[in-house]
Amino acid sequence: MTKSKGIPMFSPNRRTFLQGMGAAGLAGAGLMPRSAQAATSMKFMCWEGYDSPDIIKPFEEANDVSISIDLITDSPGGFAKLAAGAWRDFDVVATDSPWVQRMGPAGIGEFLDDAEFADVYESFYPQFRAPFAPLDFDGKTTGLPTRWGWVGPTVNTKYDTLENWRSYAPCFDPAYKDKICVLDWGDWPIMPMALYAGIDPYKELDDAELNEIRLVLRALFKNTRAIVGDLSVAQKGLMDGSFRTLIGGGTYCTSALRKDGQKEIMSIVPEPKDGLKQGIIWMEAGGIVKDPVDDAKAKALLRDLTSPEVAVKLAWTEATCNLVPSQKAEALFTDEQKDVLQMDYMWEAWDKSHFHNVAPNIDQMLEIWSQELAAAR
Amino acid sequence: MAEIQKTWRDGALRLSTLPLLLLMGLFFVIPLIMTALLSFQGTQYYRLVWTWDLKVWTDVFSQIHYWTIMWRTLMMALVCTVLCTILAIPIAYGMLHRLSRWSDHITLLMVFAFLTDAVLKTFGWVLFLDRSGVLNGTLEAIGFPPAAVNVLFTPNATMIGMVYNLLPYTIFTIALSMARIDGDLVLAARDAGASRLRAFIEVTLPLAKPGIWAGAVLVFVLSLGVFLEPKVMGGGTSPLAAELIRQSFETRVNWPLGAALTLVLIVIGAAALTVFGAVALWQARRVAHD
Repeated sequence: MTKSKGIPMFSPNRRTFLQGMGAAGLAGAGLMPRSAQAATSMKFMCWEGYDSPDIIKPFEEANDVSISIDLITDSPGGFAKLAAGAWRDFDVVATDSPWVQRMGPAGIGEFLDDAEFADVYESFYPQFRAPFAPLDFDGKTTGLPTRWGWVGPTVNTKYDTLENWRSYAPCFDPAYKDKICVLDWGDWPIMPMALYAGIDPYKELDDAELNEIRLVLRALFKNTRAIVGDLSVAQKGLMDGSFRTLIGGGTYCTSALRKDGQKEIMSIVPEPKDGLKQGIIWMEAGGIVKDPVDDAKAKALLRDLTSPEVAVKLAWTEATCNLVPSQKAEALFTDEQKDVLQMDYMWEAWDKSHFHNVAPNIDQMLEIWSQELAAAR
Repeated sequence: MAEIQKTWRDGALRLSTLPLLLLMGLFFVIPLIMTALLSFQGTQYYRLVWTWDLKVWTDVFSQIHYWTIMWRTLMMALVCTVLCTILAIPIAYGMLHRLSRWSDHITLLMVFAFLTDAVLKTFGWVLFLDRSGVLNGTLEAIGFPPAAVNVLFTPNATMIGMVYNLLPYTIFTIALSMARIDGDLVLAARDAGASRLRAFIEVTLPLAKPGIWAGAVLVFVLSLGVFLEPKVMGGGTSPLAAELIRQSFETRVNWPLGAALTLVLIVIGAAALTVFGAVALWQARRVAHD
């Protein structure tokens, strides 16, 4: 399938134009690399880890395809880029699941036929099998889950006990003043605070509920020492004890430290409060961008990313280590890897968590975050 | 020597400005117009919708927190400009007159530090200023209590980062300006009985004014857009305008709002520079009148 509509030769997109020019130039100079001689060129927008040569190279060779990677550093930014028109240049995307789901209503994603991926779903844990609500839009599937984990307090047990963090209450305790680090990762830190305030942020909120979120964020900022976007700064503070906890990060900022042998660092999920679960399950997903250059190969890449063998590689990367939805992959992990990934705790975390989804009032919540931060100091 | 009067009727002159006009038009004026047009649109499902309304501007003018952040940005930029200028004057003077023998070496070291990646330098400051960092470790070793300096993740740390990263701009412009001062003028002042300090204040400083203004303007403009220092060294708890704009574009995927805030920042910067210019002009006229 080609992205060009109508008369293809008169309506090239930027990709085909640049490819044509580049290929002509290189061919003329006799410098065409082997990968550029592949039958198909695909563009893949993804988080770190997905770009690993261990994953990409075997797929390229097996499918006679050349993949160029566009790494994203934040999911909304990646989505904004696609929505602004870059969807014409991309084929496959692997990003946070709410943003894959949003590709549906935005009209920039291809829907998947669950039956076509029945064998993939079969290899997943039952919790991720079709019909999988978090990636559903209007009864249609927008993508396949690829990696996951939970958002909860990240604690260095050398300096604090896990017991203290069975609730988010210490975030507001004066004894913890200037010892809290909040991760500035979009809506990730807002959702747990809303849950602590007794509000389910994933449903439509009224003004009173939004005001409650405002108050809880205001109280959080009073105790917060730093709001950081950079993982290394947060991890450093956690390791030297200057931060007692990281809020809004969870397993995504834990596992690489545990991989390096720092098993005293753990992410947990607080106990339900007043009947409301306090944890959040985050998930990354792979989706196909509207009108891929080769529909079959785009689907093959999704299938590859979710296969047990590749899932293990995806789980165990240089920067972060994460869980994968593939049940069959579990047998391929070593005991050490399972320990690093806190696999013995994963279903307890799951049971105590909401699934991170598209929140109807997210823009208002982000605005409240911005307002309270501006007034904090 | 006859003075050649240049006029816009001169075809050759018009032609010679064409490349610059094209460059400015393509890479400044057109993007600016597009940014302005964008600010009148809306978003739906995180996609741009061509609505042509004033909703975003109504939001910008009705939300006090945008102005709190803009005001904080302006103040931080002004303080940074003043600090950089105050620090750069003695450094530039010292390089040229007191440490002239090592002037080249000092310049080379400064250029090296200046060209080192800002991310690296800023993270270096985190390791230096941290409670368990190099500074506190050294202080503790000589008898100070643990974590004696608790400046990291505060607006003061942001300011340290801003001054550190922007200081070379003022040092180099002021040093260049001072280097062009005729040394005989300073000697004449000393011969007439002026002390070294008085000669500096009454001769060197006024003659170095063009460099001081140029450095101040450069630092001020760059300070308005700082992003890394408040985020990394300031701990993100006192966000400045660049972070607000980033959040609007990226986290909220609200490009019209980001565009409107960008324009607000540009207007604030331009207004501040106009005031700078007016003050400089007034002062120059006053000196000429005296």
